[in-house]
Amino acid sequence: MRTVGQIRATVRRAGAIAAAGLLLGAGGCAQKPTDPDALADYNGTNDPLEPTNRFFYRVNNTVDQYTLKPVAQAYVYVVPQPARTGVHNALANLASPATFFNDMFETRPRRAGDTFMRFLINSTVGVVGVFDVAKGWGYPAHDADGGMTLASWGVPQGPYLYLPALGPSSPQAITGFGMDVALAPLTYVPRGYGLLTLNWALYGIGVVDARAGVLNDLDQINRDALDPYATLRSLYRQHRAAQIEAMRKDNRMTTPDWYTQ
Amino acid sequence: MSGTDCMNDADQPLPLAPDTGPTRRRLAAALAGTAACLALCLGGVPARAESADVAFVHQFGDKLVAVINGSGSTAEKRQQIQPLIDQNVDVDGIARFAMGRYWKLASPSQQQQFVTLFHHVLLNTITGKLGEYQGVRFSVGGDTPHGDGQTQVATTIDRPGQPPANVDWVLSHKAGAPKVEDVFGEGVSLSLTQRQDYSSYLSRNGNDIDKLLGAMQRQAARSS
Repeated sequence: MRTVGQIRATVRRAGAIAAAGLLLGAGGCAQKPTDPDALADYNGTNDPLEPTNRFFYRVNNTVDQYTLKPVAQAYVYVVPQPARTGVHNALANLASPATFFNDMFETRPRRAGDTFMRFLINSTVGVVGVFDVAKGWGYPAHDADGGMTLASWGVPQGPYLYLPALGPSSPQAITGFGMDVALAPLTYVPRGYGLLTLNWALYGIGVVDARAGVLNDLDQINRDALDPYATLRSLYRQHRAAQIEAMRKDNRMTTPDWYTQ
Repeated sequence: MSGTDCMNDADQPLPLAPDTGPTRRRLAAALAGTAACLALCLGGVPARAESADVAFVHQFGDKLVAVINGSGSTAEKRQQIQPLIDQNVDVDGIARFAMGRYWKLASPSQQQQFVTLFHHVLLNTITGKLGEYQGVRFSVGGDTPHGDGQTQVATTIDRPGQPPANVDWVLSHKAGAPKVEDVFGEGVSLSLTQRQDYSSYLSRNGNDIDKLLGAMQRQAARSS
């Protein structure tokens, strides 16, 4: 068992190495292969910063093992499934305004309508968002975020990034993440002491909820994959592409069913 | 438009009071839809009925779900699942795809060894998930063409206390009867993920195929 002092020293050392890695920058680039087949693979993965990414992947995993993962495991152990689903729903409901704006920016009016109705129904009948009543009423949930908005505007995804604390990402996704923070109403609440605490509490619960949601999946990747980093990269990029594709394909008409020309 | 859509249109009870504008229009739309479907079925699209693929996924899925939800130990379930996979899934084809560009570089004996190990690893992955899927239910949706000669059948998997998962099955008809060639969970391809895992492992281990086989051997030995 390592002492707190040792862990702190390790983290400090890791921080120093991370800073050095960032400063060097160019030193963290992968070598481009010359063999045409290997080059096709290299271009397909689009991960030119792989050495730097892998470094942060290791750092995140180590930190996660001692901090977030045990907390998420305790959360799953202590809080029963229905309550966890309620927490998850309530958090998603609070994110609805940002989802709504992104639906609009993506020029998907039917999706924006779904989000609007979901927020209305779940905030009231669904008791501040704890129960997803709207799904049963014909307004299912969908994904929308700043990264998808940028994608709909033609901004390419760019190279794969594995970010400290945030994990799998891309220039497109991280820019979109910044846009989402700017769109969240809680970002603009007056800085009263109570609200600030609420804001941090929500953020903390959100992080634990997100980690708990992938406990099994990440364990399975680490157990079954020969190269968990590459598997996670593949899963992230495919999932992202599928989310964007689903958004692009959702071209439902805005004319109501009863409308006759 | 797929065959199932067409059936739905035809199944709808036709309104008997054609005087009102909207109903008449809906009737006309239903008729037009049916006509378009008929034209498609009789014309370009070959007679390989799409509903056969849906039926195949339905049967295969029902058998899998019956084993998963049935009583019995994990070892027994594993034994029951193995013939189902061998019969209905093109494991050899998936293995070949998963090896990617290294397939050409491997010797015939390495290829043979790889395919055999892949069968084990795939079965381990499936049986490793059994516990999570207790009480699973699944419903089959429609089918759409996918790539050349392949069909994609959409299903939704419901697990107690979990949000429903969209799983798409890609079927090929190379051997006459349909076989599963890939599975997409929430838009993520199982075989592509496997391929990228292997190719990354190989490129980081000096493109040494024997090392990959060794790693797979350890995986296969772990839980069989």
